[in-house]
Amino acid sequence: MRLEKCWFCSSTVYPGHGVQFVRNDAKIFRFCRSKCHKNFKMKRNPRKVKWTKAYRRLHGKDMTQDSTFEFERKRNRPERYDRNLTENTLKAIKKIDKVRATREAKYIERRMTGKKAKELREAQKELEQNISLVKAPALLKEDPSLTLPIKVKVSQKQPEVQLMEE
Amino acid sequence: MAATFASKCSRVGRSLWGGLGNNLSGLLSASHETACNHFLSQQQRTFIQMRTVLKVVDNSGAKKVMCIQALKGKKGARLGDTIIASVKEAYPNGKVKKGKVVYGVVVRAAMQRGRCDGSEVKFDDNAVVLVDKQGQPIGTRVFGPVPHELRQKKHVKILSLAGHIA
Repeated sequence: MRLEKCWFCSSTVYPGHGVQFVRNDAKIFRFCRSKCHKNFKMKRNPRKVKWTKAYRRLHGKDMTQDSTFEFERKRNRPERYDRNLTENTLKAIKKIDKVRATREAKYIERRMTGKKAKELREAQKELEQNISLVKAPALLKEDPSLTLPIKVKVSQKQPEVQLMEE
Repeated sequence: MAATFASKCSRVGRSLWGGLGNNLSGLLSASHETACNHFLSQQQRTFIQMRTVLKVVDNSGAKKVMCIQALKGKKGARLGDTIIASVKEAYPNGKVKKGKVVYGVVVRAAMQRGRCDGSEVKFDDNAVVLVDKQGQPIGTRVFGPVPHELRQKKHVKILSLAGHIA
């Protein structure tokens, strides 16, 4: 029994699933489901299709280099059956999967840091520039509560909250 | 009935286009032209029946044969089955000549065939290896990939001649 990788989305194909397409140049394409197969028939490039692993790896959304990937290399030589070896391998597979999952999650988290602060800054800037879309500039002069408060180090005021009052 | 006739027409016509399958050509001829460019590359995936033209992938001298009978199978032949065929196109100096009635073993079929592990295999085209009544191949070489379903059908000689086993 062998767990293959889908050619299009790179997910694992378990036995009993999927279609295998053999081209005349003897290249075998394995697909996990008909979605991937149909995309292949449409001649779509998996590196350009957003939900595939190929795209995510190429565009730096997912971890590419890690020592946990080394364990999953394809081995063509069958190993002699050894009960201890099998037991240890099964335990190791579980552990490696867990480690890989945590590392991938951390990678994505690291990629997302700085997003919240950036969003906040962008919102502030937009408020400063485009307040005239919401309220006339003449009114703003009369009613100073609608403008952004001057940054005072003591109190942390959320400028968006002020806008919500109207 | 009209649909099968149209599909048969399209199948024969497709062979003249050198295997460029057009799934909907027969059906589209009567109806409106739709922009389904990506269907042009698909082979029609049904059984191999009377009037199916197959490619010959050994060096017996024939190039194209037309199936006249599928032995075993009410609906038609599939991957690994034997057929009776008539040689439609042949190389000038070969073991078989045009118009000869021969037996053949289907080694590649566009229609998917289920494997015992539950997955399915399909090839790019319909191809046949000419054999004699006993099942021994007439030619001495086989080109392209062949499936290992032939082993179960006891066509071991063809497997041994094959360059690549899918």
